Amino acid sequence: MVHESLAATHAVVTLDVALPDIFWGWYVTMNMWAKSIGTGLVFMLFLLLKKNSSEMNGLRTPVMIASFIFMNIFLVFTWLDLHQMWRMWHIFFYPHWTSAITVGAWMATLFVGLEFIMIVVMLRKDKCILTKNPTGFFDKTLFWVTLLAIPVTLYTAGIMAEATARELWQMPTESAQMILAATLSGSAAIILLGGSKLSVETKNFFGAILGLSALMAFIIYMSEYIFGAMKAEEVAAILHYVKGDGEYATMFWIGQWVAYILPMLFVVLSRVSNSSSLLNLAAILAIVGLWVVKHVWLVIPQLLPLS
Amino acid sequence: MQLGFLVDLHLCMGCKGCEIACKVENEVPLSTWRLRVKYVDVGTFPETKRTFTPLRCNHCENAPCERICPVSALHYIENGIVNIDKERCIGCAGCVMACPYGAIYIDPETQTADKCTYCAHRIASSMMPACVVACPVEANIFGDLEDPTSNISKYIQEHRDVQVRKPEKGTNPHHFYVGASQAHLNPLASERKEGYSLFNNITTLPLGGHH
Repeated sequence: MVHESLAATHAVVTLDVALPDIFWGWYVTMNMWAKSIGTGLVFMLFLLLKKNSSEMNGLRTPVMIASFIFMNIFLVFTWLDLHQMWRMWHIFFYPHWTSAITVGAWMATLFVGLEFIMIVVMLRKDKCILTKNPTGFFDKTLFWVTLLAIPVTLYTAGIMAEATARELWQMPTESAQMILAATLSGSAAIILLGGSKLSVETKNFFGAILGLSALMAFIIYMSEYIFGAMKAEEVAAILHYVKGDGEYATMFWIGQWVAYILPMLFVVLSRVSNSSSLLNLAAILAIVGLWVVKHVWLVIPQLLPLS
Repeated sequence: MQLGFLVDLHLCMGCKGCEIACKVENEVPLSTWRLRVKYVDVGTFPETKRTFTPLRCNHCENAPCERICPVSALHYIENGIVNIDKERCIGCAGCVMACPYGAIYIDPETQTADKCTYCAHRIASSMMPACVVACPVEANIFGDLEDPTSNISKYIQEHRDVQVRKPEKGTNPHHFYVGASQAHLNPLASERKEGYSLFNNITTLPLGGHH
């Protein structure tokens, strides 16, 4: 490893100031976090439809509205992060299809548009001119929206993969993490939104999704943490920021505990003690912790000098 | 035509003439650089030497910035230059994140991405890039890589130690170095110690990111 040559060369950079530091910061974290919840809720609503559609009553509209709100938070922060935000329309009039940003922007717009139609249909049940059976329309459209939610969830991993400068972000792991973030936060959000409308059995079902998503995401992060450095020097250098007394070590472990370890523990305890309060606590922790986890993983590759 | 650059680091003496010429020619704002010369000090006193590496956009054949740009603001022109249309740019900074060479920045005045264009406007008028003209030792060699009789092609043929930065990234840079060591080209082969910068405390630049 070239890093080991330092002992012999004592090479020190004495003049090179153009280090951009953290360029994609917490606005982009908000983007990823809100999108996970937005698409995750759609995944969970579809699962509920397939598992026990009778429990959908009273949940269709509020869950879709919650998803719509989080998708709009995601869009607002994406927009705010642009340095030329009033040129956003260029993405639709001069699209460049090799860019995951373009593909994602188009799909997310279509996704949010469909959500809007579904909400309007449900809110205007009696006066709806689009269909005579709003609930049936909602359930049928939900299938297509769920299908669209998959690439909408994944495209951010595509952007990270196209960021050639950031060796840490690899498409296979990032796409898995994006889907798991959606199932983790989606299940957590529906547990909290469902409240008494969901049966104990259904809550336990979503609790299991929450716990398993946390477990799998944690395994992937730990795999990267332990084994990532063995394949690539750049990854090793980046992971130093979350190891030992690294700049983001504390934040990394806070994220892992709050997003994954504690929710796993509380999901198990909630099943043992039949406690919905513990399940709610697990859900809240997962949603909060996910933001921290996402932020650390977003920031650390940007700390590495590129020149 | 495929334009390319080569810097003979045996000749470069770190005068920064190229840096200044670039700034003046392209009206590059304060605190930003399209081209900069990195100094790395190697060895232990009294056996020390200072190395100089001019760094600019590599105009890659497989440019990550061009691929990730959502609006084609970054685009190839027929002579192989990766150019930028600042009127088209939306400032998403995708290119900043994608470029493995840290060659792209957000212009603080226009709030759009910017970088070295090999002075595409000068080339269109059959002139050499400003940095080539300014170099007192002709360390910057510029020309058509597809023409075997061009100076750059001859230089590449005659020298065995021709290298590019980060070849493992698969970007196929059209910017070459002769006489480079790891300390010149690999950012991990040198340390960045506090108090060692000739710019004193300036280590990062306010480029407009949201922390």
